[in-house]
Amino acid sequence: MSEDVSCLKAQLEEKEREIAALKNKLSLLEKSQTLVLDLHDKVTPLTPLRAKHALSNEDIMRYSRQLLLPDLGVRGQLNLSKTSVLIVGCGGLGCPLAQYLAAAGIGRLGLLDYDEVELSNLHRQVLHGEENQGQAKALSAANAVRRLNSTVECVPYHLQLSPENALQLIQQYDIVADCSDNVPTRYLVSDACVLSGKPLVSASALRMDGQLTVYNYRGGPCYRCLYPAPPPPETVTNCSDGGVLGVVPGIMGCFQALEVIKIASGQGSSFGQQLLMFDAQDARFRSIKLRPRQAGCAVCGEEPSVTQLVDYEAFCGSAATDKCQRLHLLSRDQRITAQDYKSILDDAGPHLLLDVRPLVEVDICHLPFSLNIPLSSLEERKSEHLQLLRERVGQLKRQMAGGGRPPVYVICKQGNDSQKAVQLLEKMSGSELDHVTVKDISGGLMAWARTVDPTFPQY
Amino acid sequence: CNCCCPGVCVLYFARSAELTGLKEEQLVAVPTELSSRDLWGLLLQRHPRLSLLQDHVVLAIRQQFVAIGDQLVSLGDGDEVAVVPPLSGG
Repeated sequence: MSEDVSCLKAQLEEKEREIAALKNKLSLLEKSQTLVLDLHDKVTPLTPLRAKHALSNEDIMRYSRQLLLPDLGVRGQLNLSKTSVLIVGCGGLGCPLAQYLAAAGIGRLGLLDYDEVELSNLHRQVLHGEENQGQAKALSAANAVRRLNSTVECVPYHLQLSPENALQLIQQYDIVADCSDNVPTRYLVSDACVLSGKPLVSASALRMDGQLTVYNYRGGPCYRCLYPAPPPPETVTNCSDGGVLGVVPGIMGCFQALEVIKIASGQGSSFGQQLLMFDAQDARFRSIKLRPRQAGCAVCGEEPSVTQLVDYEAFCGSAATDKCQRLHLLSRDQRITAQDYKSILDDAGPHLLLDVRPLVEVDICHLPFSLNIPLSSLEERKSEHLQLLRERVGQLKRQMAGGGRPPVYVICKQGNDSQKAVQLLEKMSGSELDHVTVKDISGGLMAWARTVDPTFPQY
Repeated sequence: CNCCCPGVCVLYFARSAELTGLKEEQLVAVPTELSSRDLWGLLLQRHPRLSLLQDHVVLAIRQQFVAIGDQLVSLGDGDEVAVVPPLSGG
């Protein structure tokens, strides 16, 4: 009898432990589900940010090292907690900016990016990890920020900022930070900030250079005051073409965080009428004093001609992205595909493969039988390079028993520069150079890697 | 400017450094007073490739923005001119 009792008791205890474990598992799961952030694919109205009237004990401990600064203090900290900031672009600038704003205890962060995380982003976009590849950058950034400070409200937007949604979005935030990577978005963000009266903390970075200005702030200029007309698209270099050392946008993004914190906490920014330039090569900062807001400015002037948002892609003549845009300079019979070129190689047809990329890219990867002459050398008619080309064309002509024009195939990374080179070589053919037949390989080495040789590196 | 010789020191930033192949240079025998347009013209004469940046560049004298136009500017030994094209990457 007593054995039965103790056995039943043991069974009961076992069941109770199971129930407790299940309850625990359920509560953890419920907690993690409430932690899943809602990724916004369109702009919706947000509830107003509630002002804190006092710091909690946890706030005091968390922010103690900055509360000790007379420049910030309790008042500055409370000001931070009731400020909302929209970050346009969660890339090389946006990541460190979001990180420091969250760490400092900003009230609400809008994190906007239409793009997904790629492996080639990770050297500079330091909130994203390897496991986030393919995930929306806005969500990846929001999750990282939340791990850092769960008291900061994060609103991830997986969408492209456009003339249709920009005003509605920007009106809901106190401060806007331009961390974008293209010219049309820079004009769009600036115009939207002027039209909604928001300060714009703007930074940019490329290669080894960075810039920062706070626009539309305390009588200072807007982006259009400084740059009334957009640059011709072909003169603009983006990070995917020109490269960038990751720490350079890192430094500029941190600078943006500093200025946002100064504005939000009530100290005020030092860059309202200043253009800060950072030269990472010489570790040199320079600051230029700018003119105030221009009376003749098209958007913030006395008689503005821009009173609502316009089509910025049309205005700038380029798409609102930093992805490579395909040129169409040649006719169909002037181009071959990477597979066509593979067949020419397989048939051992005599030809010259001319790689027109800069040397630094040829060092990354190249086809072993190519001759490298950068497009810029052809454009500048560099004599040693032209001589080399003449020699190689001459050799080829002697190899070709039946005569005819020696075929030259031009290749580059993605098939834009190769088209420019074909046009140039056609002009030179028969004058500066023996007669040749020139074609380019459509899609360049990246098409070769995708369609012919999957072991060839892509960059 | 790091140089300490007489003349005007011109600093080239970002794309302008690529186009000129220089980060800084010393200009001697620059008129002490000229229009900012003539100053830009002088730089274009030395580096024709800078014309790519025409109308899309910030010019600064003694770290102060100068609009390229008829406005007269004065330049003396040791003065600094900066050529700053905008960056748009991020």
